[in-house]
Amino acid sequence: MSKKTKEPAMHIKRTAGDWVFDTAIVILFVLFTIICVFPFYYLLINTISDNDLVTSGKINFFPMLKDAAGNGVFGVQINNYIALQNVQDLGSSVIVTVARTVIGTALMVITSAWAGYLVTKQKMWKRSFWYRFLVITMYFNAGLVPWYMNMLMMGLTDNFLAYVIPGMVAPYNIILVKTYIESIPVSLEESAVIDGASTLTVWRKIIVPLSIPILATISIFGAVGNWNSFQDSLLLMNNRPDLYTLQHRLYIYLNSSSNLGAMMSQGGTISEQAAASMLNQRVIQYTVSMVSIIPILLVYPFMQRYFVKGIMLGAVKG
Amino acid sequence: MRGTVNTAASAEEAESLGSRVSLWVYRVVALIAGMALFFPPANPGRISEKINAAASLFTTGISRDTITNSMGRILRSQWIQDSDITLLMISCIVVMLGVIACAAGACMSLGNRKMRRTGLLLPLCGAPVMGVGLFLIHRAYQNMLTHGEEVGKLDTIKVMIPGGFWVFCVFAGLLLLTAAIAFFTTEPEKNRAARMEMDEKYKLFLMMLPVILLSFIFAYLPIWGWRYAFFDYKPGGVIGPENYVGLKWFGSLFNDPATVSDLIRVLRNTLIMSGLGIATSWLPIAFAVLLAEVRSTRFQRTVQTLTTIPNFISWVLVYAIAICIFSTDGFVNSFLTNVMHQSGANTNYLQIADHTWLKMLLWGTWKGVGWSAIVYIAGIAGIDQQLYEAARVDGANRFRCIWHITIPGLMPTYMVMLLMSIAGILSNGMEQYLVFENAMNKDVIEVLDLYVYHIGIGQNQIPLSTVVGISKSLIGVTLLFGANGISKAIRGESII
Repeated sequence: MSKKTKEPAMHIKRTAGDWVFDTAIVILFVLFTIICVFPFYYLLINTISDNDLVTSGKINFFPMLKDAAGNGVFGVQINNYIALQNVQDLGSSVIVTVARTVIGTALMVITSAWAGYLVTKQKMWKRSFWYRFLVITMYFNAGLVPWYMNMLMMGLTDNFLAYVIPGMVAPYNIILVKTYIESIPVSLEESAVIDGASTLTVWRKIIVPLSIPILATISIFGAVGNWNSFQDSLLLMNNRPDLYTLQHRLYIYLNSSSNLGAMMSQGGTISEQAAASMLNQRVIQYTVSMVSIIPILLVYPFMQRYFVKGIMLGAVKG
Repeated sequence: MRGTVNTAASAEEAESLGSRVSLWVYRVVALIAGMALFFPPANPGRISEKINAAASLFTTGISRDTITNSMGRILRSQWIQDSDITLLMISCIVVMLGVIACAAGACMSLGNRKMRRTGLLLPLCGAPVMGVGLFLIHRAYQNMLTHGEEVGKLDTIKVMIPGGFWVFCVFAGLLLLTAAIAFFTTEPEKNRAARMEMDEKYKLFLMMLPVILLSFIFAYLPIWGWRYAFFDYKPGGVIGPENYVGLKWFGSLFNDPATVSDLIRVLRNTLIMSGLGIATSWLPIAFAVLLAEVRSTRFQRTVQTLTTIPNFISWVLVYAIAICIFSTDGFVNSFLTNVMHQSGANTNYLQIADHTWLKMLLWGTWKGVGWSAIVYIAGIAGIDQQLYEAARVDGANRFRCIWHITIPGLMPTYMVMLLMSIAGILSNGMEQYLVFENAMNKDVIEVLDLYVYHIGIGQNQIPLSTVVGISKSLIGVTLLFGANGISKAIRGESII
């Protein structure tokens, strides 16, 4: 983010035209920011309001509950989130998604750190050829169906490994790590080598600790990508609904015309009647959406500088 | 390789041509055999059609559940004996150990003379071990055959010798032959004090090899799937000379009326949506330039943070938000009813096909503009402040400063982005259009990627969708190199 001050400009008097212009752009940005944020807020208040009011379209700007007379008053409830435990198939998809986010991201980061370090080694046999071999895959792919047939041939359909193995080699992240490592003074590495450290030791003890900023950046990108993954689940897991990712599950919920209330497993902590009135399809859709947005919103403020750093490194590379 | 001066390489130079050729053949075969361990179609252990076709040799060796998951009744009724399955698994492990020994020997053969001689001993043992394993697999096959005949269920258990069996026989033979030639033509190290060493360049390469292989399997091997474009392939079927059709499917892109009209429609959608994206690609620049004009840094940072959030949610969630805002019971309708007191406001805007292209553009902009602006915001921060000061001294107002300093400063970055989006004009991805697609708008929303998904995965037209995919890939690569050439010619810099 730009921290530059406009000191030299300060002594120049702002004309009326400047004032109008400044106000106009501030209003413009406030409006656009509201457009970006309000949908999330609206989704949230829909999940914490009275469900009848939600489905009858009474919620506008604040969460509302019904009073004794059945009118909407300001209020909040979290029953929908509690009731989610009874929604069929949701639990498995959350577990699968968390597992692939953790495992997939870890494998990707380790591979990128390793490959990114090795491709900086001028001594490697045919180094530039292998580097290009990895990087060119960013710009070229065989197409959806050949890719699918390949995964089928490798036995990676209906298989959890399909979520974590193919994503291990991420060329763009390898480039980012390589660029970063090249900025680390070579002398650090050389002195360790003189002391007899092997390549693995140098990588583990020197390169990885010094590359933590870039590794954090790519792990955030990787984690968000894994959390948002939808296409591989849609294409590869046809016979294993228990391996659907959260986004795929949500996609099914969003498209199901039948009442999701009927998909609730029997029993649970709430009476059936209460379940029927509380858990209509729309509210389940909203609540599941909210659940899958919340982790991103929670990590987002802490990670934003890493995001920005990541895209900047990419831009430097061009 | 030739120009190097170190001892390991020069020792190799001294060997005869025959030795070097056989060494390289050996290494390549060992590499292929190593990969074939994880390659289900080459599984020598699939000696009955009832064994899971998705199991590789590796899986067959270690996971009883995987290979037997579709033969419950067969095992319960003892049509295939448990002992035969056990024998099969053990023999697969034996084959695997042999292959691993050969692969390890191939790695060691990159070392100096001493290391190479020692390494070549591994395949001389490993290849015969593979042979023993294969013999045991054959034994398991014969056991199953005789037992199946006894119980009269050969039709059900479908015992066979898989193609992978012969492939591995060839591997074993080749490995033994080439390793033997290489071993006996490599003179033993005379210097007793010599130690096993490997040149640094090969060590580094071997450490890189796993990454290279993964990349090969998941990014290059799919190209092998292009062969489906030349056959009349049906899912579950086979491809062979009998259904080879040459360029028939390529021809159908131009001859078959239904395909042609589909393609025209789909290409129209694709080009219009990409075109709209390119036509509005200046928006992030405007965003960045205007944001930089705001005086409060805190305001800038807040706006930047909040407007990038939508970039990090998936298209499925964008669709959930779209439902939340635009469906019958969504925000727009309840706003019209409750605040504007308009009666009968219950339009489901998502089901209306009007202006679909524009709507998709707006969703893309909503999701992406804040994020895309970051590059330009940083670009503005990098512009030399002295330029602005000098301009102001010369009497330039802020609009002139923007026009003559900021915009030209951002142009190089913009050109890269623009060229990349031109190169990707046929690839707008399918997720956005898949989630927003419905019965009303499917004619105008189906882009090329989504079309390939629909005909390939949805309707199982593997050859046709492969042909479309190939054409798209080739056009994409051509455009990319074209854009790169333009970039080189104009800016003297390449973009890839």
